[in-house]
Amino acid sequence: MKPLFEEALRRARDEWRELHDGRAPLILVGAATCGRSAGALDVLDAFRSETRRLGMDARIVETGCLGPCYAEPIACVLASPNPLICYGDLDRERAARIVLEHVEGGRPAKDLALGSIGEGRADGIPDLFETPGFRLQVRRVLGNCGFIDPCRISHSLANGGYAGFLHALELGPERVIGEIKASGLRGRGGAGFPTWQKWRFCRDAKGSPKYLICNADEGDPGAFMNRSLLEGDPHSVIEGMLIAGFALGASEGTIYCRAEYPLALERLDAALGQARETGLFGADIFGSGFDFNFKIKEGAGAFVCGEETALISSIEGGRGMPRPRPPFPAASGLWGKPTIINNVETLASVALILRNGAEWFAGQGTAEGRGTKTFSLVGKVKRPGLVEVPLGISLRSMIEEVGGGAAGGGRVKAVQTGGPSGGCIPGEKLDTPVDYESLKAAGSIMGSGGMVVMDDSTCMVDFARFFLDFAQKESCGECAPCRLGTRQLLRILEDVTRGKGSVADLGLLREIGEGVRKAALCGLGQTAPNPVLTALRYFPGEFDDHVRRKKCPAAVCKELVSSPCQHVCPIGTEAPVYIAHLAAGRIKEAYEAISRDNPLPSMCARVCHHPCESKCQAGKWGSPIAIRALKRFAADFAASCGMRPAPPAAMPSGPRVAIAGSGPSGLMAAFRLARMGYRPTVFEAEKIAGGAPALYIPEYRLPRLILDAEIGAIESCGVEIITGTRVGKDLPAEAIRKEFAAFYAATGAHKPKRLGLPGEDAHGVMDALSFLKEVKLGMEPGIRGRVGVVGGGNAAVDAARTAARLGGVESVTVIYRRTREEMTAFRGEVDAAAEEGIGFEFLAVPSGIDAKGGVLKGVRCGRMRLGSPDESGRRRPVPVEGEDFEISLDSLLVAIGGEPDGRYAGGFGVAVGADGRIPSDPETFATSVGGVFAGGDAVTGTLSVIDAMAAGKAAAEIIDKFVRGEPVRREYRPTRPSVFLPAAVLTEEEMESAARPVQPSIPLPDRMDGFAEVEGGLSREDAVREARRCLRCDLETEDAKKALLDAKHG
Amino acid sequence: MDDRPPAKRIRLTIDSASIEAAEGSTVLAAALENGIYVPHLCHHPDLEPAGVCRLCLVDLAGKGIVVSCKTPVAEGMAVRTETPEIASIRRVIIELLLANHPWDCLSCGRNTDCKLQQAARHAGVDESRLKRLRRTDRVLPLDRSNPFFTRDPNKCVLCGVCVRTCASIQGTGAIDFIRRGFDTAVGTLGGKPIAESSCESCGECAARCPTGALSIKESEVPAREVKTVCPYCGCGCGVVLGVRMDRIVGVRGDRENPVNRGRLCVKGRFGHAFVRHKDRLRMPLLKRNGKFEEISWDDALDAAAAGFGMRRGDAFALLASAKSANEDAYAAQKFARSVMGSNNVDHCARL
Repeated sequence: MKPLFEEALRRARDEWRELHDGRAPLILVGAATCGRSAGALDVLDAFRSETRRLGMDARIVETGCLGPCYAEPIACVLASPNPLICYGDLDRERAARIVLEHVEGGRPAKDLALGSIGEGRADGIPDLFETPGFRLQVRRVLGNCGFIDPCRISHSLANGGYAGFLHALELGPERVIGEIKASGLRGRGGAGFPTWQKWRFCRDAKGSPKYLICNADEGDPGAFMNRSLLEGDPHSVIEGMLIAGFALGASEGTIYCRAEYPLALERLDAALGQARETGLFGADIFGSGFDFNFKIKEGAGAFVCGEETALISSIEGGRGMPRPRPPFPAASGLWGKPTIINNVETLASVALILRNGAEWFAGQGTAEGRGTKTFSLVGKVKRPGLVEVPLGISLRSMIEEVGGGAAGGGRVKAVQTGGPSGGCIPGEKLDTPVDYESLKAAGSIMGSGGMVVMDDSTCMVDFARFFLDFAQKESCGECAPCRLGTRQLLRILEDVTRGKGSVADLGLLREIGEGVRKAALCGLGQTAPNPVLTALRYFPGEFDDHVRRKKCPAAVCKELVSSPCQHVCPIGTEAPVYIAHLAAGRIKEAYEAISRDNPLPSMCARVCHHPCESKCQAGKWGSPIAIRALKRFAADFAASCGMRPAPPAAMPSGPRVAIAGSGPSGLMAAFRLARMGYRPTVFEAEKIAGGAPALYIPEYRLPRLILDAEIGAIESCGVEIITGTRVGKDLPAEAIRKEFAAFYAATGAHKPKRLGLPGEDAHGVMDALSFLKEVKLGMEPGIRGRVGVVGGGNAAVDAARTAARLGGVESVTVIYRRTREEMTAFRGEVDAAAEEGIGFEFLAVPSGIDAKGGVLKGVRCGRMRLGSPDESGRRRPVPVEGEDFEISLDSLLVAIGGEPDGRYAGGFGVAVGADGRIPSDPETFATSVGGVFAGGDAVTGTLSVIDAMAAGKAAAEIIDKFVRGEPVRREYRPTRPSVFLPAAVLTEEEMESAARPVQPSIPLPDRMDGFAEVEGGLSREDAVREARRCLRCDLETEDAKKALLDAKHG
Repeated sequence: MDDRPPAKRIRLTIDSASIEAAEGSTVLAAALENGIYVPHLCHHPDLEPAGVCRLCLVDLAGKGIVVSCKTPVAEGMAVRTETPEIASIRRVIIELLLANHPWDCLSCGRNTDCKLQQAARHAGVDESRLKRLRRTDRVLPLDRSNPFFTRDPNKCVLCGVCVRTCASIQGTGAIDFIRRGFDTAVGTLGGKPIAESSCESCGECAARCPTGALSIKESEVPAREVKTVCPYCGCGCGVVLGVRMDRIVGVRGDRENPVNRGRLCVKGRFGHAFVRHKDRLRMPLLKRNGKFEEISWDDALDAAAAGFGMRRGDAFALLASAKSANEDAYAAQKFARSVMGSNNVDHCARL
């Protein structure tokens, strides 16, 4: 009956066996489009020439793709006695090395190996399918990809190819449909319609002939599942089509594949030729009476042609435009005849079901979503690639385990599934199972398998804009809502990203989005608003930041951001301006640019957590510019030549404003008010001015003299500072209300938090804030012996490093409930502490204090482990039962933070919360009482120095409005520098050698002798060189470009 | 005439009205026939429905929102033409359409006779939102190449009525959609002016255009209409003349006339300028001494009869006008053969 086929099958099995018999080395090179673009053809050539050079009889096979894009080009090598070893990140040299070491020498190149495959182990190389990227994968559809030559039907036959079709011919069409029904297979193109049901409709539909179409018009940005499958195992798709055609009673199958997939088309064409030669299709196949033929139709690349009715229109030679359904193609499709359109992966799954049985297929996945599904896992993920997982796996497992987590090691902000038709799912919902219904409930769709991971460097407005841009470009223009709606959505989103959006626009986005979703003609239009609708649903705050505060938290939207460093600086320091001055060697001008708005540059240059550097664009490809070190250089230079912020021409004579607290927030507000002509008076409860930085930041980080000099300069600008006066106690509220036009409460958070354990009052236990203050003020706090510090913030590390510098201290151990990764202390500080010999006891939380006779003996600790992330994105510590332990200590410093004590504000009529925080509006800093404002740590609890200064800056602006009787309202504008300075032109040599400089520091053990400042400043040469490295993002906005052009020509 | 058996009647409810419609009819057609307005742009009773303007959304009990122009009527169907959800979607679509539409209604030839205006009035438009959506970044050039009508793509809502008319009613296919997405337009092969395309200037498209995108040049609003028969060829198409004082200001096809059912060709629709042309013959002329002189009808008939009498037989030839009806043509050839004794009979064959 089918001697031709049986002969082919017999020969195929022999050939396959021989290929793997170990008599000659076998080298499989992943040469799909993805591999080729990464250089696989070079690698292939290197394997060929190198084995030839060494006179080896190697069999070198071009295969499809194994999946791990991050490790392309990939090759697998089988040379006895070792098992098949998979190598990644290859190039010519590495290929040559593998030939020499592994093929010739029998020693696999361990450092290049991704893993071994199959039976047997090679020394130190893990089983590939047990490595994190593969462990959760179940490779069925992709099972052959990367292992067979897609252009040799024998490789497919030897691996079970077409056995499913033969089985189908035996079963007959009805039982084939029954088998598909039993398998629970749902359409893999996106909508998830039960495959058997669609087939049933078509088989029962009147009309002849019937047509089958394989939809290979994969068009989602970032999706490449179908391409990979067609390039890796085209026979599985052809087999699936034969089975489907047989079940439907169709006589012709068309593969609609986009012309942008030349290699897939080439391999399909080759595969079809071989299948025909083997008698697998044509007239009366194997004497069954079933006639079937294939056609390939190359699509021109319109996204909408993935929509089945548009696809049909395209095959018919018309414009690729959808038509309203019903009628559904199963009743009236191609040329008006009953037609089934199945996705590539659906058809490949059909082949597998008929080969292995419905039960086998349904053994993976969930009740509603059976089997496995391929995904293109891309975006900000460590291990992007093509993966195949059982349905029902969680997004978290997909991203964190298979994908290795966010690329930058940060938090996964959102994941987009289903391409432009899908929606984003926020990081908090990563436990959503990947199945049709769950993704839909979360506002997205399964789609054909695109999965784009986003982290904190993705702006969700920009994300929505990107997909809308795609949708409006791909809209066919047929129906009004999609044609016009997608364009309007895009335009509004563009306005929002340019700072021209309003709060009303967000409502408009929702309304138009809903209108398009409900009214558009086809699937493309109906789903096109999904990205913006889901982004609005899950990230309303980010949209609000754009339209109201003109802020892009991810620092992506150029026209809002200008330069990310300035944009993310809470006080808007014009970093690009002073960096440009430094780059030109104008150090004084640089200092002036810094100190115009910031009266405490030397302090900031030492203790600020420099958010500016976190978003620096130079950091995307190398190291961020050392912005803080540059500021320090300018400030130190200014100090060395006696420069100070220029005092005003005349001392201010305007209304008086009282400020409580001389910390960064109070000083900033006072300075700004004085600049506006007010006469501010700052009342400080402590004996020295400066607040937390003066009291708690150790001398080795922030020398007193430096801070005092800056405070002195502030005074010389017309600010009066009265120390030793506690508002509410030494100075009643009434007196302030009488004599001052307004009052700003910036009293910080100085009340130490307590552990709440019995024995906390024992001798030897001390709060870290008091400890740091006593040391700073030259007192002897009596800390000695073995010192423990509880906490993971800066105060904890400061306390530990300070203690380590004191006489009589033997050892210092930081006890923290999470791990080093989650510590909120600056990374540099933690590293320095470790360097200085400070020990860390991570995942430990004190559960009791041992004291004998009122004297500390040690702490009992409970052991923790990390659970799932909390709101801050850090993994939450969870207690581990029965692993308590004890640490013997002589002193214990409790550094778990400080709280505000704002009760005095009650004297002004402000209702202070039980937590001691003074409630005030987060934007205007106005309290419920007119003329009384509050900001900084007193309101928020301990935050950073720069955030406190930002509050002071804004409060001054608002107080000015209040006093002048204007509405108390913040006004926001997109970020811009005050001047566009031309960029430095780097020489080639400079460009090549550019690297972030390291600030010098006092070497160990010298620095432990006292409290001398550890970190030094940059040399002038280093500073100028570093400033020249700046990419000058501030010059990329439209207005900057225009200004520079005008300057050039005018 | 239509000799198909009368279609089965289907009963359904639209809003609170219980109505009947022919089987196979759509919900939209049934509603409109029964005087229930559902906003629409791409629907035209002469054409297959396209379902692209998406304005005619209705709520079907048990099925939710569907486009009524693509939904066949069914027995017992309960249709609501407006719900808060539909109203909001419709308003969005109308606002999207108007945002890119010229705001010159008062000077537009279709003012008060515009389906977009009608739909907008029905849907209700929020002026402030419309201003926000207003984009004037695209002004497309007008195509005035055709002597009878102007194409203004800025007023086009891409309903496709013209394209479908040209293809399925006129059978010409001179125009189709070109480009994609927001840039989609109705255009000719190679983007040439319409006058250089295969367009026959029948004006069927302009007659069906729901907006001012296709407007007849030199058209005035008639004061009254006069039903008559087209004077051109012998087909006898029914026309309705738009008349102002004693001037013809426009012609439209008579939909009730069984000959043309409302359709006209370029001559019937646009060829009426001759009526008032200065060269038009209003009285018979007789050439005397090499000069034409006006004479009375009686004198003219006498002169003709005298001439005929002298030229019987092969000396006589009859050339009939293509404007003659079949009956007139028959009588004329009969006259030539039996009275004049000549077989020299012909016909001008074109106009």
